Amino acid sequence: MITAINISHRYQNDLVLQNITLHIFKGEFVVFTGESGSGKSTLLSILSTLLTPSEGSLLFFGEKIEAIADIDLFRRENIGFIFQFHYLIEYLTVKENLKIANEKVTDTSINALTQRLGIVELLDKYPNEISGGQRQRVAIARALINKPKVIFADEPTGNLDSQNSLIVFELFQELAQEGTTIIATTHNKKLAKFADTQYEVRDGQL
Amino acid sequence: MFHTAIQALRYNKLKTFLIYFSLTFSIVSIFLISSIAHGIIGMYSTMLQNDGNIIITQKKIADTFFSNVDIHLLDTIGKLENVSSASGMILGAAPVGSLPIVAIYGVTKNRFKNYKLLQNRYPALGEALVGASIYQKLQDKKSIQIANKTFKISGVFASDIGFENGGIVLNIQDAGKIFHKSASILLINTRLNANIQTIIKNIKKLDTNIDVKSTQNFVKNYNQFKIIETSAHVISLLAFIMGLISVVSIMSISVNQRQNEFGIKRALGISMQKIIAHLLSESLILALASFFSAAVLAQTLLSIIKALPQLQGYVNGSISIELFLWIFLTSLMMTLLGSILPALKAAQTDPILLIQGNRS
Repeated sequence: MITAINISHRYQNDLVLQNITLHIFKGEFVVFTGESGSGKSTLLSILSTLLTPSEGSLLFFGEKIEAIADIDLFRRENIGFIFQFHYLIEYLTVKENLKIANEKVTDTSINALTQRLGIVELLDKYPNEISGGQRQRVAIARALINKPKVIFADEPTGNLDSQNSLIVFELFQELAQEGTTIIATTHNKKLAKFADTQYEVRDGQL
Repeated sequence: MFHTAIQALRYNKLKTFLIYFSLTFSIVSIFLISSIAHGIIGMYSTMLQNDGNIIITQKKIADTFFSNVDIHLLDTIGKLENVSSASGMILGAAPVGSLPIVAIYGVTKNRFKNYKLLQNRYPALGEALVGASIYQKLQDKKSIQIANKTFKISGVFASDIGFENGGIVLNIQDAGKIFHKSASILLINTRLNANIQTIIKNIKKLDTNIDVKSTQNFVKNYNQFKIIETSAHVISLLAFIMGLISVVSIMSISVNQRQNEFGIKRALGISMQKIIAHLLSESLILALASFFSAAVLAQTLLSIIKALPQLQGYVNGSISIELFLWIFLTSLMMTLLGSILPALKAAQTDPILLIQGNRS
């Protein structure tokens, strides 16, 4: 599904990733672990099309990423993002936050998804009216609203307590079993055990 | 989209207020300066156009106040073919009583009918007809002193033209003694369907020291009007630029502070065009709110200025439909132009910044 071939990346003169080659399959739950500064978030940024690597190739569904004509449309249709911070839009309700990702989504779909994530009763609330764990679940719902083929999660539990962190990774495991590819980064080795595949990133190498 | 834009504006209250305030202030300035200039030009040109379609002034003078035309020309001009009436006028200004400056109109008798009497009668020699707004300010309601000469008040008149309503009408002979001239201008009325150019040519032959123009042409080319119009345009342009700079600055600050919002939208695959359209819709709402607030505020201020006794009704701004529409378009342009760069910047937000916070 996703193939990285000899990917290297530099920030100015700093080489932060070196010759990364990997293949990620449909429905695989992959976790990158590593210390701060190891390069795991840069790798995630490249794999998720947000960052163009200095060298190497990235292929999605066998197609080179540079060959995709409308990257916005590609992201909207194929990729869901979850970040360490929820990045919910403060002036929109939970429901409106979900709808910015997909204006055409039906209320039935929203209800089904939020029911599953245990946030259905929060739909009319604003982000500042709900807890940190609930906000991150809304962010997950926003990532899932378009039924993406792959979800990229950058330290998704970085701001959550252990119980909420566990809920998030259990959910990722379920999603992967349902066929959604999950690619996440984490510092937490216990949570990493939920993944099918673990990669440790050290000094920009796997 | 507009619903979301309103929510964003309501959430970012301070910045919304600052943009709204700057825009309203700029638009009110444009309204006031344009409408006052428009009003002044309108009053003066209406005054001239009411009295004739040909105007005669002294040749090579900078302003009608300095013009001196021989009033005896009226007799000859009155006899020319297709001339229906001819009148003379002295335009001057002098201190009257405690008032530092008042417009004085010395006119021939056939022009008296232009002043609608509110009290008593038109003036005889040695008498003055006083405009309604100036009359209210006089302590002595029976006589007035103009340039060391005392005139008995014969009556009070009203005029829709602020310059006239705040002025004093004398017989042209009396005004001539004060201002040491025969007439400032002569105003000629022609018969319907008369060839004005032929009449102008015939009048020019009568005196080499006079300049003869159609009133319409005179108004269009009058230097004072050009100066007023140019000044109004320059001040309006400055107000426009100030408004534009305010919008650009505050919108840029706002876009910087909302980077995460635009970043997440970009990460979710929302197109650049949609982000630009969203920000422009916020600006459009602000432009409309500011414009209508400014229009109401400007109209209120104009009414207050018009009623100020100190200004004697001389500053009488008017907002025509053309001016209203022109300022409406200017306001939209100012806001949208000021928003386009910040909106482009917002649309180009790199979603990588959402990861950069914990880049490792």
